[in-house]
Amino acid sequence: MSKKVLDSKVPSGDVSDVWKNYKSSMKLVNPSNRRKLKVIVVGTGLAGGSAAASLAEMGYQVEVFSYHPSARRAHSIAAQGGINAAKNYCNDGDSVHRLFYDTVKGGDFRSREANVHRLAEVSVNIIDQCVAQGVPFAREYGGLLSNRSFGGAQVSRTFYAKGQTGQQLLLGAYSAMMKEVNSGQINFHNMHEMMDLVLVDGKARGIIARDLRTGEISKHAADAVLLCTGGYGNVFYLSTNAMASNVTSTWRAHKKGAYFANPCYTQIHPTCIPVHGDYQSKLTLMSESLRNDGRVWVPKKPGETRDPIDIPEDERDYYLERRYPAFGNLVPRDLASRNAKYQTDEGKGVGSTGLAVYLDFRDAINRLGETAIEAKYGNLFDMYHNIAGENPYKQPMKIYPAVHYTMGGLWVDYNLQSTIPGLHVLGEANFSDHGANRLGASALMQGLADGYFVIPQTIGNYFGSENLGEVTTDAPEFAAAEAEVTGTIDKLMNIKGKKNVDEFHRELGLDVWDKCGMARDKEGLTKLLKKIPEIRDEFWQNVNVPGSKDGLNQELEKAGRVADFLEFAELLATDALDREESCGGHFREEHQTEEGEAKRDDENFCNVSAWEFKGVGNKSVKHIEELTFSKVELSQRSYK
Amino acid sequence: MALSTLQKKQLVAVTGLGLVGFVIAHLTGNFLIFKGADALNDYAKFLHDLGGLLWAARIGLIAMFVIHMGLTANLVINKIKARGSNYAKFENHAQKPSFSARIMPFSGVVILAYVIFHLLDFTFAEKSGIINGVDQGLYGLVVTSFMDPLHSAIYIIAMAFLGLHLSHSLQSIFQTFGLVSVNRLNTIRTISTAIGVGIAVAYSSIPVYVLLNF
Amino acid sequence: MSGESINLKLKVWRQNGPKDPGRFEEYQANDVDTSASFLEMLDVVNAKIIKDGGEPIVFEHDCREGICGSCGAMVNGKAHGPKDKVTLCQLHMREFKDGETLVIEPFRARAFPVLKDLMIDRTSFDKIISSGGYVSVNTGNACDANSIPISKENADKAFDAATCIGCGACVASCPNASASLFTSAKISHMALLPQGQTEAKKRVVQMVDQMDHEGFGHCTNTYHCEGACPKGISVENISRMNKEYLKAKLKG
Ligand SMILES: Cc1cc2nc3c(=O)[nH]c(=O)nc-3n(C[C@H](O)[C@H](O)[C@H](O)COP(=O)(O)OP(=O)(O)OC[C@H]3O[C@@H](n4cnc5c(N)ncnc54)[C@H](O)[C@@H]3O)c2cc1C
Ligand code: HEM
Ligand code: FES
Repeated sequence: MSKKVLDSKVPSGDVSDVWKNYKSSMKLVNPSNRRKLKVIVVGTGLAGGSAAASLAEMGYQVEVFSYHPSARRAHSIAAQGGINAAKNYCNDGDSVHRLFYDTVKGGDFRSREANVHRLAEVSVNIIDQCVAQGVPFAREYGGLLSNRSFGGAQVSRTFYAKGQTGQQLLLGAYSAMMKEVNSGQINFHNMHEMMDLVLVDGKARGIIARDLRTGEISKHAADAVLLCTGGYGNVFYLSTNAMASNVTSTWRAHKKGAYFANPCYTQIHPTCIPVHGDYQSKLTLMSESLRNDGRVWVPKKPGETRDPIDIPEDERDYYLERRYPAFGNLVPRDLASRNAKYQTDEGKGVGSTGLAVYLDFRDAINRLGETAIEAKYGNLFDMYHNIAGENPYKQPMKIYPAVHYTMGGLWVDYNLQSTIPGLHVLGEANFSDHGANRLGASALMQGLADGYFVIPQTIGNYFGSENLGEVTTDAPEFAAAEAEVTGTIDKLMNIKGKKNVDEFHRELGLDVWDKCGMARDKEGLTKLLKKIPEIRDEFWQNVNVPGSKDGLNQELEKAGRVADFLEFAELLATDALDREESCGGHFREEHQTEEGEAKRDDENFCNVSAWEFKGVGNKSVKHIEELTFSKVELSQRSYK
Repeated sequence: MALSTLQKKQLVAVTGLGLVGFVIAHLTGNFLIFKGADALNDYAKFLHDLGGLLWAARIGLIAMFVIHMGLTANLVINKIKARGSNYAKFENHAQKPSFSARIMPFSGVVILAYVIFHLLDFTFAEKSGIINGVDQGLYGLVVTSFMDPLHSAIYIIAMAFLGLHLSHSLQSIFQTFGLVSVNRLNTIRTISTAIGVGIAVAYSSIPVYVLLNF
Repeated sequence: MSGESINLKLKVWRQNGPKDPGRFEEYQANDVDTSASFLEMLDVVNAKIIKDGGEPIVFEHDCREGICGSCGAMVNGKAHGPKDKVTLCQLHMREFKDGETLVIEPFRARAFPVLKDLMIDRTSFDKIISSGGYVSVNTGNACDANSIPISKENADKAFDAATCIGCGACVASCPNASASLFTSAKISHMALLPQGQTEAKKRVVQMVDQMDHEGFGHCTNTYHCEGACPKGISVENISRMNKEYLKAKLKG
């Protein structure tokens, strides 16, 4: 494997001033020229919605694509807990530096320092912008905004709208976007799935899309392309992601030359409702704010069969409080998740599958009263009650970790540009800000930071620096890409095998979860790397896609996405095997401290792995971006 | 300028409210029947002597009726178009009953039919009725008519529909003009139903009184 | 946590496209685990249809958490099925009895043409929003978030209105196929906040006009919508819309 060093293009200077200075030195595009420039935005989640609205307001012609029928249905809608911002409204000592520091540390020192600092800086503008749009954040009786502490943070910097923060933020971005649809500045192509990226002269100049209603394949040219297409958590089949979330757009861009960074950094969320049957299609997350008042425990005796309320106090193991006295139940997600796995591995898991631990509100209810708990968590309790069929006011909840977020994504430089000029990547689809582990309430922040405040500046710099000729869809590259897309669809339709698409997806996902989930080791990963191509080969021989390619065909949509997961999974496992250290969400059994904590190898792995595609089944080539830290000291994360 | 459905709806409410005014005024007049033949006949004479004024009121009333019916007919057509194709099965999810609401157009048509019948029956009829061998004018006409149980039944049934129409429509006026807050909605609905039933009972008390006493 | 298992007969609306007249088809759903969700039950039925060489029942869904507003169908005449305040994806099979027959059809309205089977096109809702459901504030123009205090009461009410997921159950369950609850929820959300005031008059008039233009019916205050709304959005919002509308028209 050859190693090339990638340039992050972070301007030089003190990290705390870089963005400020860069903003005033970037190239600008004057308003009359903006009118002539066309930008394609794929995805209408927080990242895409906010970018599309902001660019349109600036006068660019924006073409927006989403496989969703409405922009408001993007997966960002499901985020519950909240969004961070360094407003210090609570006077508890928060600052841009502290948010920056917490995020870098939380990411286990595997994020790009300058990006994170910029994120912390613009976090305050995000809240202002959203409030101005009418986002109804929670408020205090005095009429000012309310904050809470979230995901283990020691300051209260999380803004929230009950358990529906993502929904309210997305509706804000969506309404800003619809305003521009109304004014004609945005042309929105709903139910259009991006099938491929088109490069002309090495630059991203358009996409190929399929109209999911009619099956029609269309070509679209532009001056730049923004991918805001979310994460790839569904490679695990069961995850908290929406059913249609997928890796297709970024994977196809990867195949066209964009490097994929740190795919092995995946986040497992500790408080999800456990699996209950084979027919299960997805996992439901419950906000981790529950851990503020709920206590996590398992019975001390393996194989316990008693009802939880009958288990006396001294036979319960509050393992998080025991192992991490300072943080207790509020340890970061990766620790909380892994510790749950250890308990169930020892046979102490509860529930019919043995794959669950208790999250108990008994003490909080005794202390604060049922009404207070209802006021705080009422909607989450109702949700649990409805899904699990058990009353959490009476019985402890059963929870288990599930895949929730993917820190890895297409590699981007400080301008959010990938290794393909003109291809910018925003939101969960890129890799840059969360390192090896994302802190709670920071994905919403990043998506909106990228869309509202970063890309509107950096895209101008791109247009100002490049001499872009006129390109239309008549360019032969478009026809070639279109032919490839049509070819793949025909191939899928013509296999007419025996197994349903979901069967392949499930088989792949469960194996990836088993061997490349909460904990990974060489042996398992090697087996997985052998297994994935086998499933993939069988898929291309034996998948059954019913119906026709012309018209609405949900099985065909799924088949295309699963085909990409089958290729992507191999890179995920390759990266996990290659990274011989443990950090954040990437836990290699071989690399742990005596206390069983993740052991980083800063000597060899204080870097980003950015993979270059070399053909399906061929070994990808790894490139390195070195990570340096000037404002924080690398320390072993400790939550003891 | 074309009216929006909401404007039409608000006009239905205004005219409806006007008609409610008439219904109540008419009721108070009718109640004179309990004071005896002279009271009622004098009242009728007083009205007729108003001459032009009476006609102005009648025209106003007719206009309200026509607007009210015209717009509701228009809205009913609109609603059928808005559904497009019909459900095989359709049920009310809400706890709140909606029977009176859903039969509004029907109760309205019943009222219309009744009004026509009523006009022919009393307004345009010769005002005479012989009770105990004496022609007692309008009073006599009313009493003799209601002495026929079938005739009375028609009135009582019609009034039941008027009651249903009003039960829904009175609270509806508040909602249509945006005067409802959640905490008050249930109270308003109860009062509305009470008034609706009250008016139906009050009107029906006349034929019942006649049936029991003559 | 797995439950018991039940057998059901499904009568499902199948329609091959907006122009196809459509028809009901019957399927047997056997050994349905009562802790499965309604959509998971359909997944299992679909898997079998595909194995038997047929085309699966098309239905829209995504988050399966009751928040994206994608899912929805009439189950035995009720939008999102018999249980109150849940979306179809959050309806669980424990709500049904062994041996029941379920009639499953799409949300029907002229403004929601059927795309295929149970899947409908709700872009008419987006058009209502784009006609005025926003505050015209460009990125970067905002003042400090705490510079305008908002009473908690109004903020909470605005939030309650803003929780609408745009699923269309209100339209589906309205005898007049009216979009009043949807439209009024957005109008209320904005009308209750100081940020929404500047454009309040224009907003309400344009959104109401757009609602008519899309071919939705009018409200006759039957309140079916509130009962069917998975988020419990109150008809008080319709009342507020009516008032805002009247204000806008009278004061011009
Ligand atoms: C249950 C849950 C709870 C969460 N809670 C929180 C929280 O409390 N705080 C927090 O900060 N973060 C939270 N997150 C994470 C956060 O919600 C996401 O990371 C973030 O919303 C991603 O936004 P996005 O804009 O990058 O992508 P998404 O919102 O996923 O949007 C992707 C868009 O891309 C489109 N798309 C994708 N592929 C294609 C294609 N090929 N063609 C066309 N269109 C395409 C989709 O249609 C969609 O519009 C949560 C996540 C989950 C799953
Ligand atoms: C004495 C006679 C009548 C009175 C007092 C009356 C009163 C009212 C009132 C107050 C309303 C409520 C408006 C609102 O929605 O806020 C109403 C609605 C309505 N009326 Fe009448 N009405 C009368 C006759 C009729 C007639 C003759 C018809 C039809 C032929 C009719 C059909 C309707 C309909 C369809 C509605 C609309 C219901 C709705 O939108 O909810 N009404 N009426
Ligand atoms: S699938 Fe998202 S609300 Fe049901």
